[in-house]
Amino acid sequence: MLLLSRCLRTPAKNLRRFVPQRPFHDQADHKNVRIVRILEKRIEERKRLFSELSEEMSSPDDISRLKQLKESEPLQVAWDDLVRTRQLLNETDSLLSDSDEAMRALAVEEHDSLGKSLAELVETTIPSLLIPPSTTSHLSAMLELKSGVGGSEASLFLSNLLRMYLRLSNVRRWKANVVSQNDSDGGGIKDAIVEVKGEGVFEALRWESGVHRVQRVPATEASGRVHTSTVAIIVLPLMEETDNHNEELFNMEDVKIEVMRSRGAGGQHVNKTESAVRLTHIPTGITVSMQDERSQHQNKRRAFTVLRSRLMDQKLTREIAERRATRQNLVRTADRSEKIRTYNYAQERVTDHRIGLTLKNLSSVLEGDGLQDFLDALQKDHDETVLEDMLSGD
Amino acid sequence: MHSKLIAALVQQLGPAQARQEFRWMLKHSEHSLPDMVRRRCLGEPLQYILGSQPFGPLNLLIRPPVLIPRPETEDWVLKLADRISTPLKPPKYLLDLGTGSGCIPLLLCHLLPPGTLHAHGVDISPHAIQLATDNAALYGIPPHSPENTASNTFKTSLGNLLAPSFCDDAKLQPPYDIVTSNPPYISWNEYLELPRSVANYEDPKALFGGPTGLDFYHAIARLVRRDGFLRPGAIVALEIGHEQGQDVEHIMRVEGQLHDTEVWSDPWGKQRTVLAYR
Repeated sequence: MLLLSRCLRTPAKNLRRFVPQRPFHDQADHKNVRIVRILEKRIEERKRLFSELSEEMSSPDDISRLKQLKESEPLQVAWDDLVRTRQLLNETDSLLSDSDEAMRALAVEEHDSLGKSLAELVETTIPSLLIPPSTTSHLSAMLELKSGVGGSEASLFLSNLLRMYLRLSNVRRWKANVVSQNDSDGGGIKDAIVEVKGEGVFEALRWESGVHRVQRVPATEASGRVHTSTVAIIVLPLMEETDNHNEELFNMEDVKIEVMRSRGAGGQHVNKTESAVRLTHIPTGITVSMQDERSQHQNKRRAFTVLRSRLMDQKLTREIAERRATRQNLVRTADRSEKIRTYNYAQERVTDHRIGLTLKNLSSVLEGDGLQDFLDALQKDHDETVLEDMLSGD
Repeated sequence: MHSKLIAALVQQLGPAQARQEFRWMLKHSEHSLPDMVRRRCLGEPLQYILGSQPFGPLNLLIRPPVLIPRPETEDWVLKLADRISTPLKPPKYLLDLGTGSGCIPLLLCHLLPPGTLHAHGVDISPHAIQLATDNAALYGIPPHSPENTASNTFKTSLGNLLAPSFCDDAKLQPPYDIVTSNPPYISWNEYLELPRSVANYEDPKALFGGPTGLDFYHAIARLVRRDGFLRPGAIVALEIGHEQGQDVEHIMRVEGQLHDTEVWSDPWGKQRTVLAYR
């Protein structure tokens, strides 16, 4: 922090020349200086845009420039804030060695508070402005849960996890709806699909994708031996029919629609409810089966929602991969075969292996709102990765 | 207790179907679960037990003995809605013969833009007329256009399609732009082989189409052939039994004087709908 304030106190125009010559003692300071440097670059861009505006301000180029200026206005506000705070800090500096003791004490207090504002600006406000706005922030989510190794114990754990997400949705006031569910004979659930609707749900839940592992003595285990079972979860962006970028996801001719089972003569001859539907997207080989609704029409609609969500997911993954190819992108893709979290009953602990976070709050995670702690930590980790990526690409 | 009930259903329906139906029953907690399972095990259709059947985006009321809407019908009515929604105005007049629960005209009224469709459903059964009226009320589809608002309408009347005085009895008001029907089409031989849940519970008047199953198609052909019954460009869409495509096309061409016909298949690959164009 000390170094940071020293750097920042230097007038802006000298900053670039000055910074690289300094040895860096601290990773965080290094990062902060780079953040300020990126911001300064954006501010210079703004100045350039401003100078390029014509007198009339009415040419098509002008309009696009004005639009860009308008969009980057928050950056200017942050920059002005930064410059003012830095100047104030400078002025307080000289008072730190004032002969009057009361004045000195006041200056120390002032200096402290300004330092905090500066840190807040550089570490939180500015990074959040610099990170490009997410294209998926408005999306709801679709969770697909599949039981993995562990047989009926995995199915039982799946029902625990399903309830965990339904509870969380309730707490967060998201609208959750189980659209498909296959019960297992042992009382658990073999697989399930849940729609969770709400602003930003996909971003909040996307890091839940991966293999969730449970270590516990199953209710059905007589000898008291600890079993390890897994449930695989995939979180997809929910693509509803009303989303306008659906068209480009698939061509209707590429989707084969099949109804399940034979109905014999069909029509008036049969009144048994057979509403199962299977879609196959031929180019990707994705198949979706849906049978939970009593109407074929509704099953078809649900199946198309799942198909669109899976295709959107593929598109997002592809885009991340492309970005990664063009520049050294650090943003991780969710490897769905990767074990991401362990729920250990005996130790009442939950460990997220990706961020190395262990909390002794298993009951709260499964029965209360403890999962939110993990979601927050994962989000923070992601934000930092994105920022790191942006800095390294600068 | 659930496992016992499921076991009873499995015996009747097989494991996969039993599990599905049990879950649907659980969602209708207004009825007693053991009672629903008991009725189902006796062969009563699930739709009568639950009192409803989804049809396209609608969830229609269903009461015995009115014919339960079938997925095959849902499929072709959705297709028909696509077909007739393109040219919008002026509003079109639709006649549905043997309207039953009202599923065909009500789904079309629901899907087409407000003020573009005025439907008239006729049935021989007062039960059907009552049910269709209730379903129209459920979805807020009025019998007459309210003043100053464009809305699709649905009215009903009683009538026997096979009676000579049908047009007057049913208060028909031709010309029509669209005639739809899912008439009884099961022949005598087939009627004897129907599953219990159909034969013992659904109205024979909605199922039995005479010795060959074709009686009603002849009657419809005679009706639409009348002068001024169909507007130029009108569509006649008739659901058919899985082996009646050729016969019904022939009837519509020769007796109905509609020479432009086609047959649509249902999602199971069976011939299901004959379309005839004026």
